[in-house]
Amino acid sequence: MSNWKFINKTYLYDGTFDGLLTIVFNCYSTKTLPQNVENEQNYTNNFLDNTTFIQTDYEKSDRVFKGIEKNICYDALYNSYYTFLSNEKNKEINILKYLCSGFDIGPKINTMLTSSYVYKVISTKKRVYGECHRFKGLLRFIDVGNNLFYSSIHPDNNIIEPLGHHFISRLPTQNFIIHDKNRNIAFLYNGKTYKIEQMPKFVLPDVSDDEKLYQELWKSFFKSVTINERTNRRCQMQFMPKKYWKDLIEEQKGHD
Amino acid sequence: MDTLEKLKILSDAAKYDASCSSSGSNRKNTNNGIGNGHNSGICHTWGADGRCISLLKILLSNCCIYDCKYCINRCTNTVKRATFTPKEVADLTINFYKRNYIEGLFLSSAVIKSPDHTMEMLIQAVTILRKDYNFNGYIHCKTIPGCSKELIDKLGNLVDRMSINIELPSNDSLKLLAPQKEKTGILEPMSYISNNIKIKKIDKSKFKTNFVPAGQTTQLIVGATPESDLKILKLSENLYKKLSLKRVYYSAYVSVNQDTNLPTLEKPPLLRENRLYQADWLLRYYGFEADELLNETHPNFNTLLDPKCDWALRNLDKFPIEINSASYFTLLRIPGIGVISAKKIITARRNFNLDFVALKKLGVVLKRAQFFITCKGKYYDKVYKMNHSFIETNLLSQERLILPKPQFKQLSLFDNLLPTKEDKIKCLTGSL
Repeated sequence: MSNWKFINKTYLYDGTFDGLLTIVFNCYSTKTLPQNVENEQNYTNNFLDNTTFIQTDYEKSDRVFKGIEKNICYDALYNSYYTFLSNEKNKEINILKYLCSGFDIGPKINTMLTSSYVYKVISTKKRVYGECHRFKGLLRFIDVGNNLFYSSIHPDNNIIEPLGHHFISRLPTQNFIIHDKNRNIAFLYNGKTYKIEQMPKFVLPDVSDDEKLYQELWKSFFKSVTINERTNRRCQMQFMPKKYWKDLIEEQKGHD
Repeated sequence: MDTLEKLKILSDAAKYDASCSSSGSNRKNTNNGIGNGHNSGICHTWGADGRCISLLKILLSNCCIYDCKYCINRCTNTVKRATFTPKEVADLTINFYKRNYIEGLFLSSAVIKSPDHTMEMLIQAVTILRKDYNFNGYIHCKTIPGCSKELIDKLGNLVDRMSINIELPSNDSLKLLAPQKEKTGILEPMSYISNNIKIKKIDKSKFKTNFVPAGQTTQLIVGATPESDLKILKLSENLYKKLSLKRVYYSAYVSVNQDTNLPTLEKPPLLRENRLYQADWLLRYYGFEADELLNETHPNFNTLLDPKCDWALRNLDKFPIEINSASYFTLLRIPGIGVISAKKIITARRNFNLDFVALKKLGVVLKRAQFFITCKGKYYDKVYKMNHSFIETNLLSQERLILPKPQFKQLSLFDNLLPTKEDKIKCLTGSL
């Protein structure tokens, strides 16, 4: 990227991955890099910034999407998508630099770990993927009747889409809702298709006796499978920090 | 007896099995089935003892005909007994799995009537899950020592992982503590399973079914018998090499029974168990051999330092290692550098020569490694030298916080405040 021009501008986009890829397209075709890229919804106007809003263009973003897989590698797509889902500040400008120099030098980009934006993108992806993996285990469904399962989580990053896909392949015939309470969005699946949208008003109904029984069984299993002679709370907390406990059935009624 | 009561008894009885991994199987979901395998395994929660809980770990029954001295379910113990029906096990598994409490089932059993009868019960439970409920999640099943080979075949085609616990690491200990079990009864089915896995892997298309895709494991009890660490580690090494086991688990012995042949331990030997696991990893992923880590003069692990540091201190002539030129397996021999760091170093040094700042940027932890490496020919600090006592003191000062502390007591002026009889006599004679 040595012959690239840096311009004193802040690009705004609509907060979708396609929007970000459109910016990548524009930057790469003009060989210019903006100072910053911000999500329009979270942006507060700043006297010093020279802002331009970039309209999402699906044709452009599609070309970039295919181009990444063809000209860089599949991993680059994976890295940039997971980084996009993170709650990291300045994630957009890092992804932009990562992809632009990726188009310049090809798959070798993933080995340039000493360059700060590459390292940032790859380590952020690891963090987001790690959290997603953790929730694959820590999420608990509640049977609310009518063949519907509900679960609420409080993740740091916006992970419900990859998380939802995991459960679709597991429980393909089951209707379920995964509710991200930090963002108040939900992953809704009806046995055939899924969508992600603002969580509609939902009051958790009284659960059936069957559900209560299984919750009780699970709690008692959780308790009796522990070896008391080896109690090690610190070790437990290291793997399962307390921030996750509020959504866990087995930890809900406080301990001991 | 209701399910809750049974679950309490039979999960309590199963908890001394250390194994709880759900990795190694990539079983796909079928059309209208439930569940799939996840290659890296998923932990679902962690118990108060810090062990992960990913499988519904239960016994089918704890009504045992054997009398193994170390076991809580020995027939001469007076514990509550219960037996699940195969259907109950299947129902419990499905309902827990659907709510995402667990990753699968770990089914084991005490020996009811005979080994073959027990195996048939286990097969029934697993068959209901796989065939009637279309369950494609993870199942780990114990094999009962001394059962017939046809039953092993039948079970192996249904489950993801099988295991037979050796428990006692030598023949003498086995005779002493588990007189009804025989060494051949344990090792024969193990080698039978590992042979079968190899054969069916070579010609997958011919057999169509997947035979034990996640491999087999075993468990050794640490601290119930006088075997040294060297002997245990040698056994594990042979199991990995000859029977290509996936894992050997070590379980620190918890005193559950009183017997003249058993030691009475106040606490389970957790540190020793930890050192064995560390060494186990060195065998499997780091290219170490048991003889390098321990020998006849040092048959047990150093309690103060981990096995790799201990090895490095005994082999200081192999250090320092140059980060920019050492091979992958040489990098792995540096204390503090593991598989992830070594791979990162290999990837990153293709583009640049690495120095210590770059290493830190990569996320390589230098806490221990700094004493053993050079970057571009330079030490981390000018004062560093390849001196045994210098490095040992530095390493120990870092570990100080996590090691068991010596018990000190604050002295008090007011202990023994009341004058004793002697004091009174001294007062009388005027010497005080």
